[in-house]
Amino acid sequence: MLKISNLSKSYKGGKKAVDNLSLEVNSGEIFGFIGHNGAGKTTTIRSIAGVLDFDEGDITIDGISIKKDPVSCKKITAYIPDNPDLYEHLSGIGYLNFIGDIYEVNKFDRETLIEKYADAFELTSNLGDSISSYSHGMKQKLAVIAALIHRPKLLILDEPFVGLDPKAAHILKATMAELCKGGSAIFFSTHVLEVAEKLCNKIAIIKNGKLVACGPTHEVKGNNSLEDVFMELLNEQ
Amino acid sequence: MKKILSLVKVQIGTQLVEILSIGNNRKRKPKALLGGLVFFVLVLGGVSFFYSYMVGKGLMMFNSIDVLPALLMAVTSIIVLFTTTFKIKGTVFGFKDYDLVMSLPVRTMSVVASRLLLLYLLNMIFVCIVMIPAMGVYAILAKPEASFYIIGIFTLLFLPLIPIVVASVLGTIIAYAASRFRYSNLISIVFSLGLMVAIMGMSFTMGDTGQELVDISKALTDRVNNIYPPAEMYSRAITEYDITAFASFIGISALCFILYSLLVAKIFKKMNTIIMTGKSRSKYKLGELRQSSPLKALYFKEIKRYFSSPLYVLNTGFGIVMLTIGAIVLCFVDIEKLMGQVDGAGLLKMGVPVFITFCLVTCYTTAASISLEGKSLWIIKSLPVTAKSIFFAKIAVNLTVTAPALADVILMGFVLELGVFLTLLTVLITILVSIFISLFGLVINLKFPNFTWMTETVVIKQSAAAMIAVFTGMGISALLIALMVVVPSANLAYLIYIGFMAAVNVVLYRILIHWGAKQFHRL
Repeated sequence: MLKISNLSKSYKGGKKAVDNLSLEVNSGEIFGFIGHNGAGKTTTIRSIAGVLDFDEGDITIDGISIKKDPVSCKKITAYIPDNPDLYEHLSGIGYLNFIGDIYEVNKFDRETLIEKYADAFELTSNLGDSISSYSHGMKQKLAVIAALIHRPKLLILDEPFVGLDPKAAHILKATMAELCKGGSAIFFSTHVLEVAEKLCNKIAIIKNGKLVACGPTHEVKGNNSLEDVFMELLNEQ
Repeated sequence: MKKILSLVKVQIGTQLVEILSIGNNRKRKPKALLGGLVFFVLVLGGVSFFYSYMVGKGLMMFNSIDVLPALLMAVTSIIVLFTTTFKIKGTVFGFKDYDLVMSLPVRTMSVVASRLLLLYLLNMIFVCIVMIPAMGVYAILAKPEASFYIIGIFTLLFLPLIPIVVASVLGTIIAYAASRFRYSNLISIVFSLGLMVAIMGMSFTMGDTGQELVDISKALTDRVNNIYPPAEMYSRAITEYDITAFASFIGISALCFILYSLLVAKIFKKMNTIIMTGKSRSKYKLGELRQSSPLKALYFKEIKRYFSSPLYVLNTGFGIVMLTIGAIVLCFVDIEKLMGQVDGAGLLKMGVPVFITFCLVTCYTTAASISLEGKSLWIIKSLPVTAKSIFFAKIAVNLTVTAPALADVILMGFVLELGVFLTLLTVLITILVSIFISLFGLVINLKFPNFTWMTETVVIKQSAAAMIAVFTGMGISALLIALMVVVPSANLAYLIYIGFMAAVNVVLYRILIHWGAKQFHRL
């Protein structure tokens, strides 16, 4: 579903945020992307989402290159950034309807899925309010609902559990598992290693822009905890 | 005091960084944009000098040069009143770093003082740019005594205080109303437009425009003195060196400002809580949802963004409101009498396309629309829509704002009996200039974006993109005047202008589609 080949991205000043990174995420997989602050996780995720231009390599989603046909890639992808700054001038329902229009979600699916996810995340009664009145967690929930209503084949999330209350985090984890059962792929970054360990089929660890470990979760961690492996890789020169 | 100055220093630094868009490109832009800012200051100062000199020369002919300082002080005060009213929300109340500043170990009074000092300094910069050249003109023409310079400098420091207080009260009422009602932004827009039209209307209803300049100036000064008594004190202080008037002006200005500061300090926390706490009804029930096409959805999202910001509407819609009011007023006035001469209507006919282009180029919604995406930019960048569709939606909003101009042109054509040919030419000019300002604004905003703004004012009024759009627009309007002067026939001048604008629009469109789309992906 997602294939990253030799991705490199430098910022002004020459610093390489991502250096020759390659990985693959298949349908039905939950892929965890782990790394220290400034390792290059967000740069990679923003490149996959088509938000950030990159220098070298290629990213394909369902066989389509994001560089050559970004619109087709984005049609089957949903992206949730680490800090969901949404349109504050819209109401919650206005934003969801806007996303529904852009992804051309039919009326029945739109109403059904909004109801399903808004009820699950306990946001229905607030959907009429302006987004400017929402708390960080409510915005995060709204961004998640907006991502789910067009049934994406690939869901990309940057630190999705930050700001969510325990119940919402639990629902999100269940929803991610449900999506994967339905054949979608999920690629997400996290600092919560316990979550990654429990939730992900595969894990990649990035350090200073380079991939230092990648594979099925049980292979990456072996007999140790993910935290031990991560700390060991981080301390290696 | 040290803490207050530190807070002001940080705020000024933030403002400068925002105005110069340093946040987006630290290496290259500051120098070029600082140059642009210097250019802007010189142009504004130059315009002030030229305007003051022309008015002063006219007044000299009637031995009324002493009217000049009061007149210019009144104009400056009105501009300070205009601009400050819409700066209150974002500067004194409802500013973005409120939580951060209020959590610092400083007294609320120090925070209030720093915000008011910032407001004063911002206005003072403008007052100096406008008033110093104007006072220079008065010094050249009236050759006043040395006392003029001393009194002039002292009064200059106190000049913006009362307008700031009045504007703050109005701005606070608008901000409070906006936080209380459902259609608050609409109420705010209507109220603010009403205020602006009322002030503009006041200066237009000064009397018969056929009167001599001196009468107009004296009438204006009398009117201003009636409404704003400190203007008379200022005038007496600066032209007659009246110490009582001088002391009264300074005393009243300072007293008003101190009383206002104490009032703000009392209500600062309460007002900020009211303004910054959103309305929450929490009773929504899901119902039937309306479906639209992606392009329509983008357009409506942009329209909602536009009307969600009274500041955006007032700054980019005022020209079209004035044009519409002008067109309606024409239906009810005696044109020959208005112009005060036999060929008044003829002159007015010739001036119609020029007036329209000047009004249209102030409608530059696209020059801020990319920057206004701010931190939400990721949304449109991650959506399955082309850059072209996003551009079209933004341009469509600009054209929606300028659309009433077409009705105005037809109305003017009918009232002024322009004839079918001239009306048609004017319609073409209206369409082409509307397209020009929409395309140019977008191109220039793509070139100079700013996504790190703290207040909308920065991108709507003070950004490099907005300034370049306005000045280039003015240049495009001036070009029509130049053509009318150079080309013997007015109709031929219009035709050349139409051809030129059509060519410019084609070039701009191509730049937008090719370079603009690439630039958008780079943002």
